Amino acid sequence: MSFLTPLFLLGAAAVGLPVLFHLIRRTNRERNVFSSLMFLLASPPRLTRRTRIEHLLLLLLRCAVICLLAFGFARPFLKQAMTAPAASTGKRVVLLVDASASMRRANLWSDARDTVDSVLRHAAPGDQISLYTFDRQLHPLFTFDQWRAAPAGERSALLSRKLAETSPSWSSTHLGSALIQAAELLADAAGKAQGSQGRIELITDLQEGSHLEQLQGYEWPKGIEVAIDVLKPLSASNAALQLAADSDDSDAKAAGTVRVRVTNSPGSKREQFKVGWALSDKPVFADKPIDIYVPAGQSRVLAVPIVPAGAWDHILLQGDDEMFDNLVFARPPEAVRLNVMYLGHDTETNPKQALYFLERAFQETRHQKVGVTARRPDELVPVADVQGSCLFVVTAALSQESAKALRDQVVAGKTLLIAPTAPDMQLTLRQLLAVDNLSFEEVRPANYALLSEIDFRHPIFASFADPRFSDFTKIHFWKYSRLNAAGIPGAHVLARFDSGDPALLEVLVGAGRVLILTSSWQPDSSQLALSSKFVPLLYSILESSGAPAPRPAQYRIGDVVPLETLAGTASSPAAVRLPDGSQVRLPAGEKNFSQTDLPGVYTLTTDTLNKSFVVNLDPSESRTATLPVDELERLGVPAFRLAKPGSIEAERKTRFQNAELENRQKLWRWFIAGTLVVLLWESWLAGRTARRLAASANMAPG
Amino acid sequence: MIAPASSPKLPSSSFIDPKALMSIRNLELRARVVVEGFWSGIHRSPYHGFSAEFTEYRQYTPDDDLRHLDWRVFARTDRFFIKKFEDETNLRCHLLADQSRSMSYGSVGYTKAEYATTLAATLAYFIYLQGDAVGLLTFDEQVREYLPARHRTGHLRHLMLALEKPAAGRATDVGAPLKRIVELVRKRGLMVLISDFLAPLDRLDQNLSALAACGHEVLIIQVLDPAELNFDFKHPAVFEDVESGRTLFIDPGSARKEYLRKMEVHREALRAMCQRLGISWQSLATDHGLDLALFDFLRERMQRRNRAQRFSRVRHMQSKALA
Repeated sequence: MSFLTPLFLLGAAAVGLPVLFHLIRRTNRERNVFSSLMFLLASPPRLTRRTRIEHLLLLLLRCAVICLLAFGFARPFLKQAMTAPAASTGKRVVLLVDASASMRRANLWSDARDTVDSVLRHAAPGDQISLYTFDRQLHPLFTFDQWRAAPAGERSALLSRKLAETSPSWSSTHLGSALIQAAELLADAAGKAQGSQGRIELITDLQEGSHLEQLQGYEWPKGIEVAIDVLKPLSASNAALQLAADSDDSDAKAAGTVRVRVTNSPGSKREQFKVGWALSDKPVFADKPIDIYVPAGQSRVLAVPIVPAGAWDHILLQGDDEMFDNLVFARPPEAVRLNVMYLGHDTETNPKQALYFLERAFQETRHQKVGVTARRPDELVPVADVQGSCLFVVTAALSQESAKALRDQVVAGKTLLIAPTAPDMQLTLRQLLAVDNLSFEEVRPANYALLSEIDFRHPIFASFADPRFSDFTKIHFWKYSRLNAAGIPGAHVLARFDSGDPALLEVLVGAGRVLILTSSWQPDSSQLALSSKFVPLLYSILESSGAPAPRPAQYRIGDVVPLETLAGTASSPAAVRLPDGSQVRLPAGEKNFSQTDLPGVYTLTTDTLNKSFVVNLDPSESRTATLPVDELERLGVPAFRLAKPGSIEAERKTRFQNAELENRQKLWRWFIAGTLVVLLWESWLAGRTARRLAASANMAPG
Repeated sequence: MIAPASSPKLPSSSFIDPKALMSIRNLELRARVVVEGFWSGIHRSPYHGFSAEFTEYRQYTPDDDLRHLDWRVFARTDRFFIKKFEDETNLRCHLLADQSRSMSYGSVGYTKAEYATTLAATLAYFIYLQGDAVGLLTFDEQVREYLPARHRTGHLRHLMLALEKPAAGRATDVGAPLKRIVELVRKRGLMVLISDFLAPLDRLDQNLSALAACGHEVLIIQVLDPAELNFDFKHPAVFEDVESGRTLFIDPGSARKEYLRKMEVHREALRAMCQRLGISWQSLATDHGLDLALFDFLRERMQRRNRAQRFSRVRHMQSKALA
């Protein structure tokens, strides 16, 4: 028999009290009234001289009451009952080891290996164990099949060796998806082998940045428990360096800097850091570093001036214990050049004409430079210019050759925006759309026309879908051209005037499309150019025309890099040089590059050019503060801390099990019931004895 | 209440059994029983008056009454002497009875207060029968009743009623009544103070000396219960102070010796004080017969008188020799 609260057994020592009281001369309740106590002193109670114990049975009963109470309060339970079911058939155990970048901290990986070895040593002979590591994905190292296939005596050694061969990656931690996959593995295995239970032994640093969001909607399979061994780093201090989100402003001062964010973990003991450019391969500053003070739990953003020298490719943070997230690779942002071709009679300087506004709508930013090339509609446009443009804007009737050339481009996939400033566009439209019957007549409303029935689901208007931006009623149209949309096959009206006439139509032509704005934005036609909607609308049209999006300043580990963004559509990518110097050849027609496993500078080589891009650590990996295990429980995962034998946690676990067992058995009830029975007996016996004594005292003479 | 064994030291050799006497409810009757058989005697007055019996000569001082000059002595010796005579008057006796709570203790079937009351009544009756004036002052921590010394019809009755009044006080303070009696009684007389004196004796000395200085003849009768004298309780018990209500757990086996020693010291201190002040002191256990107590009283009075007579005789002879 064991006891949950054995200290209460000390209460059994109180069994000596009734005996002692029995031996102490009774302080009888007789009271003597006396004239004066001035000559008397209080007498202390003293041991009586008699050694014979009277009423032995009564004394024994009272002692028994105390003993029974002490035993009851000590919460006794029988251990055999618990150990019996434990010796059943073996469990399926998935060892899930965190191999994310945060495990690169000083002692964590070796601790993880030790923990795996410890689990293997304490495994029951019937257990089946598999080993998986995880970062962004789950990586099988030793499956159940391999375990079963291996000789029984060598399984643990094989598994341990597999883990020794691997090392933490640079990826972020996606604990949620890893747990789900491991649970499904176990659930599948349990489905095959009826009745067997599964357990996931999760060995991780359980950092705050372990993406758990996937667990939110997941219903955890029954019978699978998660034992967590949270690895403790030697030092709680960790500061991280990240590239701050780059702004699109064209500020000259900002243009020459790279903005980085220095974050310091909440439990950090360091506050003074240095940030500066460093040479590749050496953790030494190439220039004078910038001192920065970041208190624990806070972050600071710092602008580091860009140094033109090519050898300096990364920014280093110094003053932190953990080095894994103290490097950030940076390249000055490279602007994407786009060209818009304008075909019309306008001059660039006339503020009453459409071109004037078009040129001013596209502002140059750090990431995008949009050029507007104006051509006369009747002159022949060079092929190179046509091919280099991603959007064509036509405001006047074109020559037949030009119209044909443009139609070819549209069929090939380009976008053409027609915004007629004169009513003589009928022929050009027929040519461009290849439609014979097309009526096109100018309308001048009595007052003005307004836009209505706007299709906000279309990508062009999608950005205005929010009610805050969807008010187009302030844009008045003085004149427009009435177009018979029904006569154009494949025409989709994106917006209509309040009269019901189409305002903006989209006609798909081949792989491209033609957008027809039946009015114009020049001031004598409408107020469109003067409204706040004009610039976003043009950018929406530019984006929908298939222009390459601005390249991000950095990619994160594991991100898929779209090669077209880098190399453009003209050249075909051939190979990528990785930060470690190795080269990855790309198969023909490959659109994406996904082997971004290392932080550093990658170089894409095409037949014509070399483009480099940087890959950095996921910022969430730097949030190294330990999550409470309760967080997993809150998400429905039946998690508990895995206890090392002999450790405090092991004791706590044993105590917990004992408490559960005691709670199930509830032996204390029997002791309390026994106490009550003995008390009743004692009361009856004491009463009887007292009555007898009283009777004998009454019968005594005097 | 556990009755202590009766004291072996104080055997009752009385003709009247105190228990039987106390069973008489009427106080006057009790006094009468005790006094029965005693004949009234003559008490010498402490006042020197001018009566038949000569006491002494005193040298003349101016303002003395010339009527009392002994001219014969003047003729013989050529000096002025005043002739003093013993004034044969009635005795003026005051009985001072303690009625504090501590007097309500008794282990012999009646309390010390009852015994003291009976004793006071007996003395009063006896003195009254002799034709002397008797007064009464009862007290606890303050004076309760005061009857001046008189000898008139019905006075004894008033006195008995005053004695029979139940006691209300808690503590004992002998000092206050003594002070009061000094203020009230200007004429010299006999003061009989009956109490258990179970209180600190600090201020008693001063008050008694004040009383004696007024010329009163003081007789102290200390009334104690045999249990207080012997402390012969058998079993340990909680003892409650009858005055203060304070309780103490006492094991008589271990406490008796110390108690007896302290009691003896206390009594000896009282006796020594009385001796120093020339006060008669008598200790009575409540199982002591009241007739014996009366006898002791008279014997004490006789001894005192004899001492006084011897003294006056010597003085008389001295004065005669002078004459």
